[in-house]
Amino acid sequence: MGAVFEARQRKGQEMTQALLSIFWILIFPGFVFTVVVGLLASWVVRKVSAKVQYRVGPPVLQPFYDVMKLMGKETLIPEDAHRIVFMGAPLVGFAGVLLLSTMLWRISISQTTFVGDIIVAIYLLVLPSLALILGSSASASPHAAVGTSREMKLVMSYELPLVLALVVVIVKTSGNLSLANVAQDTTVFSISNLLAFSVALLCIQAKLGFVPFDIPEAETELGSGVLIEYSGALLAVWKLMQAMMLVALPLFLVMVFLGGFGPSLLAGIGKYVLILVLAILIKNTNPRVRIDQAMRFFWFYCGIALLAAIILAITGKYCDITWL
Amino acid sequence: MSWKIWSLKKSPWVFHVNVGACNNCDIEIVDMLTPKFDVERFGIKLVGSPRHADALLVTGVGTRQAVPRLREVYRQTSKPCVVFLIGACACGTGIFCNGYHVAGPVDKIIREEDPNAIIVYVPGCPPKPEAMISGVVKALSSL
Amino acid sequence: MNQEELNNKLSQIEDKLIAIEQKTGNRIFLLCEAENNCAVNKFLFEDVPLRFVTATGIDSDDCFEVLYHYSYDATGCIVTLKAFIRNRENPSIESVTPFIPAAEWIEREIHDLFGIDFKNHPDLRRLILADDWPEGVYPLRKQVNGEAAKPSLPKTSVRPSPESPAHRTVRLCKPVLPVGPFHPLQEEMEFFQLSVDGETVTDIDMRISYNHRGMEGISETLQFDQVAFLVSRICGICSASHPLAYVQAVEELAGVTPPDRARYVRTIINELERIHSHVLWVGLAGHFIGYDTVFMWAWKYREPVLDLLEEIAGNRNNYGNVKVGGCREDVPDEMKPKILHEMDALEKKLEMLTKAVLDDPVIHARLKGVGVLTKEDAIKYAVTGPTARGSDIGIDVRRDDPYAAYSELDWNVITRPEGDVFAKAVVRLLECLESVKIIRQSLRKLPGGPIAIEVKEIPPGEASGRAEAPRGETFHYVRSDGGNRPVRHKMRAPSYVNVPSFRASCIGSDIADVTITLASVDPCYSCTERLGVVDSHNNITHNYDALLKLSRAKTQKIKKEMRYEPEDLKIE
Repeated sequence: MGAVFEARQRKGQEMTQALLSIFWILIFPGFVFTVVVGLLASWVVRKVSAKVQYRVGPPVLQPFYDVMKLMGKETLIPEDAHRIVFMGAPLVGFAGVLLLSTMLWRISISQTTFVGDIIVAIYLLVLPSLALILGSSASASPHAAVGTSREMKLVMSYELPLVLALVVVIVKTSGNLSLANVAQDTTVFSISNLLAFSVALLCIQAKLGFVPFDIPEAETELGSGVLIEYSGALLAVWKLMQAMMLVALPLFLVMVFLGGFGPSLLAGIGKYVLILVLAILIKNTNPRVRIDQAMRFFWFYCGIALLAAIILAITGKYCDITWL
Repeated sequence: MSWKIWSLKKSPWVFHVNVGACNNCDIEIVDMLTPKFDVERFGIKLVGSPRHADALLVTGVGTRQAVPRLREVYRQTSKPCVVFLIGACACGTGIFCNGYHVAGPVDKIIREEDPNAIIVYVPGCPPKPEAMISGVVKALSSL
Repeated sequence: MNQEELNNKLSQIEDKLIAIEQKTGNRIFLLCEAENNCAVNKFLFEDVPLRFVTATGIDSDDCFEVLYHYSYDATGCIVTLKAFIRNRENPSIESVTPFIPAAEWIEREIHDLFGIDFKNHPDLRRLILADDWPEGVYPLRKQVNGEAAKPSLPKTSVRPSPESPAHRTVRLCKPVLPVGPFHPLQEEMEFFQLSVDGETVTDIDMRISYNHRGMEGISETLQFDQVAFLVSRICGICSASHPLAYVQAVEELAGVTPPDRARYVRTIINELERIHSHVLWVGLAGHFIGYDTVFMWAWKYREPVLDLLEEIAGNRNNYGNVKVGGCREDVPDEMKPKILHEMDALEKKLEMLTKAVLDDPVIHARLKGVGVLTKEDAIKYAVTGPTARGSDIGIDVRRDDPYAAYSELDWNVITRPEGDVFAKAVVRLLECLESVKIIRQSLRKLPGGPIAIEVKEIPPGEASGRAEAPRGETFHYVRSDGGNRPVRHKMRAPSYVNVPSFRASCIGSDIADVTITLASVDPCYSCTERLGVVDSHNNITHNYDALLKLSRAKTQKIKKEMRYEPEDLKIE
């Protein structure tokens, strides 16, 4: 009798767990929350850019209107395109960022971390860029093809420095591979940490598609090259993905380099806003670079900086100097 | 009014097509999009592909060489979309109506492609940027 | 050589000519048969030498005529060679393109519009008529008129297949772009096609026809005073110069001189147009090389000039202010202080901009030595305007063949010897400052009196008129038979000779410099949009946006190499 009751209780718990997970993924901090915050963040970016250019800029709800309008347009698929990849690519990218965002927020809020989640985060980070490459190459358009090759070169440039930057932090926290612990243990104001942070920030700048590393034309924020064949609902998904990246990626930086989304809600929000502001500043004060310039920048200059950071981190660990 | 049209009014992305204009209207369109007039306030944005566009800004009289291109561009604009005919030439060929190389007027071409196309006329030679913005905003709010 | 000596020199070729007619002191007509065409043209272009302006095809009742117009800039004389083609069934004439590269396009155009065959032309493809224009229909021939001249249009837009004649019109267009209904930008790419080998440009082909509205044909259906409104719409930014050139041609035909006040008003309006056109160009050039601040600044400061023009003429861009015999609108005396005040403010801004360009080391590095058009090539392609003046050819219609009030004012012709994009930028900026000088003087010297005289009759005859547009010399040739419409009206815009010179200045240069080199010629806005590059090795194509990015990225690279920290341009 007790066993049946326990079994039923367990089943009830599992049901609640399942419902909770759905809630987390769909509402908070998953889909709805990330989308709303992401679209607000993209408005901030556009408004600040407008102010810098002595303009007024769009109203607050503009990104929402954009997405809504795109959902209502017809979706045209090129005749020569590979249909499955063409339609699946935005969904893959979207799902990747959604998972990443949900995961990162859950870790920040309820400290439910697991060893190796930093590796999972790295994998999930690659998904949006990969999706972009797949989608544009499935477009069967020569213009998209040019964009694809440039995007591929860019991804090859900055993925390695990004991982190396994470290695710096992992070294400093003595091989800790779980995000929450990394967030707690890392010394924010050490030279190697700041070096790694700067490099990672620029990698994120490239991943977000911001100047100076925006491969697509800056005037059309969507990218006339890679996304040229997309329209309607599929384009809306790309837009959403890019908006959500504005939530997930700075949060990732905050957790790895800036000591996590604590100690209070205000501090956490402050750190997130700080990264957003830095990204916007870099975006508005620099013109575009060419692809080989970007590659040289990431592999050579960032590589050297990171090498120095790693050496400093190791030295600091062994000699127990925290500020190195 | 459907939500599609409502959201289109809130975020009209434009694609500029020149089908045989003297460039006066084109320059005034660029003027409209520069920071002085700042049409991003209305959510208007210039896009690089008709696939992303909600509105076509068509200038020019519709020369024989350019008209097939216009047809394709219209077909590739994802619907619903609005066609703005900017300038006297686009509104109805004007002084060029006797030209041997003129295949317009543009609205006839668009209607051949799609009898239900939404066409807005912004006359002028060229229409001032203020006139264009006023025309666009008026047309959108009356949709 | 003064005019006397020129006349003597021309009589050296008398044996090949039927006659030499001197219409006025400054207009000479040589008549010859089609057979002697090449010999005389060679003499005129190489031995005298004269500058080639353009060629006109005419369908007279009993023969075809091909007129070759030349300019002798030292005295402002226009020498026109009329070659008569007696054979109406199969009209043909020897081409002059082998030794005058500047004639390549115009001979192709005359072939399209009249059906005259040019023997030994290196490349007699269709130039100006649409791809689907039927063969054998020549729209400017006299016997074809009205609806018969306008063949019906196909209803559907079928993309021409690679084997069709249309694709053969673009020599270099390998079908690298997939044939499918969803690639609108393809057609934009058929306008300019460059072949590249890695990073260097090896060849260029151009297809024009998109803007061809058949103005010359329409002009024959309008009355003389209506034509002035038509030609102001040839190009949006030269919209004051074309009507002026046309109206001067008709005034020469009718033997009238406009009143003094009209001449000064024409000067003021044309110089205001020159300023806003050059400033627009500066903005575009800045945009191409990545200086968007310059772009925004320049376009913002154009606005007061446009507002002034709107107050004077009623429109920011198409003024409609010239008519045969004078002007339609006056510059009211009450406006003088306002214009002078604007000129003062503008002069300060222009000087600041000029200094910024002349002193900026990144602009030096980016634009110097780029897109060089040598003096020899410039003469071969018969370029005009700042394109010529930037290559050490000091020609300017305002000084050489004075019109309006220019001969009574004190101003300089700006020339630079280097021939690169930087030189042309300097020429344009300094010309803006000269324009301010001219406007000030015109306002001070503005005489009283009527603004126009009545011209009732246009007698039969022929005449040419020209004006210095911001881009170069606009040339109009008008022939009348005593009626109230032109029998033939030839219009030549300066970009028609300047744009082909792109071939000489672009081949051998870097792909990242393509947009700025074409821009330095200052073609009309829509010309530059239709630029595409085909890389024959990798089979990839770059469109206009990609080329623009390359151009701006090169600027960044140069900046980094120079470790340059730019000062902020203060925008007031």
